[in-house]
Amino acid sequence: MPAPTCASCHTARANLRRPRSGQALCGACFCNAFEAEVLHTVLAGRLLPRGAVVAVGASGGKDSTVLAHVLRALAPQLDISLHLVAVDEGIGGYRDAALAAVRHQAARWELPLTVVAYEDLFGGWTMDAVARSTAGSGRSRSCCTFCGVLRRRALEEGARLVGATHIVTGHNADDMAETVLMNFLRGDAGRLARGGGLGSPGEGGALPRCRPLQLASQKEVVLYAHFRRLHYFSEECVYAPEAFRGHARDLLKRLEAARPSAVLDLVHSAERLALAPTARPPRPGACSRCGALASRALCQACALLDGLNRGLPRLAIGKGRRELELEEAPRRSVPAADALTAF
Amino acid sequence: CRDCFKALYVHKFRAMLGKNRLIFPGEKVLLAWSGGPSSSSMVWQVLEGLSQDSAKRLRFVPGVVYVDEGAACGQSPEDRAKTLAEVKSVLQNIGFPWHTVALEEVFGLPPAVLQGSAQEPVGTEEAYKSAVDSFLQQQHVLGGEQTHQPHTQDSPGPCSLGRSPTATQTAALCRLFDSVRTLTAKEELLQTLRTHLILHVARVHGYSKVMTGDSCTRLAIKLMTNLALGRGAFLAWDTGFSDERHGDVVVVRPMRDHTLKEVAFYNRLFAVPSIFTPAIDTKAPEKASIHRLMEAFILRLQTQFPSTISTVYRTSEKLVKAPREGRAAGPAGPRCLLCLCALDVDTDDSATAFGAQTSRLSQTLLSTPPAEAGTTTGPGCVAGEGQACCRAACNYVHRKGVQAQVMEQLCYGCRVNMKDLPSLDSLPPYILAEAQLRSQRDWVMPEVQEYLIEDSDSEAEDALVQPPGARLTTQEQGGENTGTGL
Amino acid sequence: MAAPLSVEVEFGGGAELLFDGVKKHQVTLPGQEEPWDIRNLLIWIKKNLLKERPELFLQGDSVRPGILVLINDADWELLGELDYQLQDQDSVLFISTLHGG
Repeated sequence: MPAPTCASCHTARANLRRPRSGQALCGACFCNAFEAEVLHTVLAGRLLPRGAVVAVGASGGKDSTVLAHVLRALAPQLDISLHLVAVDEGIGGYRDAALAAVRHQAARWELPLTVVAYEDLFGGWTMDAVARSTAGSGRSRSCCTFCGVLRRRALEEGARLVGATHIVTGHNADDMAETVLMNFLRGDAGRLARGGGLGSPGEGGALPRCRPLQLASQKEVVLYAHFRRLHYFSEECVYAPEAFRGHARDLLKRLEAARPSAVLDLVHSAERLALAPTARPPRPGACSRCGALASRALCQACALLDGLNRGLPRLAIGKGRRELELEEAPRRSVPAADALTAF
Repeated sequence: CRDCFKALYVHKFRAMLGKNRLIFPGEKVLLAWSGGPSSSSMVWQVLEGLSQDSAKRLRFVPGVVYVDEGAACGQSPEDRAKTLAEVKSVLQNIGFPWHTVALEEVFGLPPAVLQGSAQEPVGTEEAYKSAVDSFLQQQHVLGGEQTHQPHTQDSPGPCSLGRSPTATQTAALCRLFDSVRTLTAKEELLQTLRTHLILHVARVHGYSKVMTGDSCTRLAIKLMTNLALGRGAFLAWDTGFSDERHGDVVVVRPMRDHTLKEVAFYNRLFAVPSIFTPAIDTKAPEKASIHRLMEAFILRLQTQFPSTISTVYRTSEKLVKAPREGRAAGPAGPRCLLCLCALDVDTDDSATAFGAQTSRLSQTLLSTPPAEAGTTTGPGCVAGEGQACCRAACNYVHRKGVQAQVMEQLCYGCRVNMKDLPSLDSLPPYILAEAQLRSQRDWVMPEVQEYLIEDSDSEAEDALVQPPGARLTTQEQGGENTGTGL
Repeated sequence: MAAPLSVEVEFGGGAELLFDGVKKHQVTLPGQEEPWDIRNLLIWIKKNLLKERPELFLQGDSVRPGILVLINDADWELLGELDYQLQDQDSVLFISTLHGG
């Protein structure tokens, strides 16, 4: 069975079949189409206005590598400037290699790079220290919860540091599809009600965030990196990914094998889910410590750090958080810096 | 223990009906019975409910419908005849009026099946109360006769739509199903046709409710399956207690609190008869369809995390039957030709999953760099025809072809499914006829409306007329539904 | 009888971690009765190259869903997947999409 001719240029041999349309394209035409689609998503979704200073969350992995590369190619047309922001979580052995990959990319593409470290931002807490502290709880899952919350905060801080007006992250269609599957399986109606869009507009003083690759499947992201010869860091984090996400990812890959459009079909479902008003989270207010957006008295990051600093890491996740807040109420707000350096 | 289990089981069924207050006294209710355990258990619940003493007695008037899907599931004529004989003997024992129809009969359905009824379902609290009151009064007048049957009831026994299917119809059905490329699309098509057929039977015989035997296990699986099929907008209709999308005939799911395990136990303990018939996916490998994959996944996860199904089920109760905030298409908007839900598609090219698949960027192919994207093709041709309004509607419709005509009348999920049919020509005539009818009407309507009101979609349409190159470089342009969640 | 073949087998995207971190393998497939197709190649890889946790690379008689297969830089979906018959000097690339982000 010989490969068909590219359906676009009609000259080269096709290298792949696109999951969304079933069309067979050559590598070059596919990459052009991929870039045009990201451009289209940004424009039609009105994600990044002209003149935006965009902080690209760079991890050295495939998604952020492809995002940075594509946006760099589109920057003149979009009239935006880019700044890579990488987060050093302080994970020995793993993060150093990933950061090296980011530094290499920044140098090669001549993009400014800023690295922000958990250790500096969060009063000496590295992810390795967090892991040691939570080891008693015996669950790697809590590690990912901590890391996710802290990384979000760190990226926000890093973006402000470089004077960014917008933050972009490399989440792709598979991430969204996995998330909607997981939220149903875990019964997280609040997240289902909030999810589905291409980003958040930046309520409560937070920088607007968006995901320009959200309509591109993982497979296409990887193929784009392959045909554009992009090098990325592909080792798994030493703290194994959350088991539950593993289940969802496995399911998603099987669904995709049975029907190539399944990933986008799930994204469409997520865009269209309608939940009862009671399932929607309350309007967020400001964290009583750091002023960041929070649905409760303390934002997630402050709550986590507070738990860590008191040697009760589990307080901050799940039901523990509510107990924490009951205590918090009479204590009055403490300036963020004090709270962080007190220990 | 056995007695408590039975009491609980019966209570769940009656509580589900009681709390939703949708079934009116004396109302004709069609029980969709597949022969499988859950729907058999449901029929049994109704049978027992009707033989209770007067205080607890169910007060609606049941009938049973059985759809013979043998042709779509590859059963031989002999096996089908055998199954049907078994079905009839069970139905005779039950003693309700019953209707057996072969799936082939979809080839004789009128297009009207797909025309939503203007009649709103009567379902308000007020209406329910007054109906109950008048029913009780009537009972009182009649002296509370135990054997009283409302005069509207069909006599017990068969009232089949009729004839056994012709060989031509059977061949047409087999041809249709054989042509479908994936098991996923076959399952969906079967479900669609079955629903239309049951709807038709209900209307012809004056039933205003249809009860299906979906268990909580089945609904959790269905919810996740439909999520993966792109039916996120319709989950509340597809899996909720009641489904009012058809207007005059409401589908209700009274078994939705029962798990498959409970059903199996009950049927075993109380000797509820059921009939095994091979389904379309029987023996298919797990990876053969989205349905099978999701079923296997959920059941496996359930053994690992025993709360999986109840979690999914409880989450589903928080879904509402309204379009998502900021999304167009209210109940009055156009309906999907096949599933009859409000269309959930965005404008082409919008920054959504739908836009990503309809985008001319991915449909027409670019050998040119992004800035010049699309200039080589003529994407404005459809809109261009819109300008040439002198052309007759039928001319337009004719040229568009069946494929395009049907496709544009479909919701997102049904479009994806129909892509797995090499040709839509083999669909039953009522679907094609209705598609053509709507297509012609859609052609005429905008022409008329242009003179009546300023079209709110005009901005989006302007964008369509422009060459995509221009659209891509201008920040302000873009489809209407593009700012998703921003 | 298929003659011996010389093929380049490459792993990327994190899949190389299951092969001692070695990305490129120049291999010679011995002559055998039946022709060398991808199905047979996978069995051969499992026997001769795979160092650990085969379930992370193979599932059933195919690769684990989420691992892309490119034959001479073309997606194997275009070439008949498991049934593609290898030619001398072919290159087969396995890229994991499951690692990192």
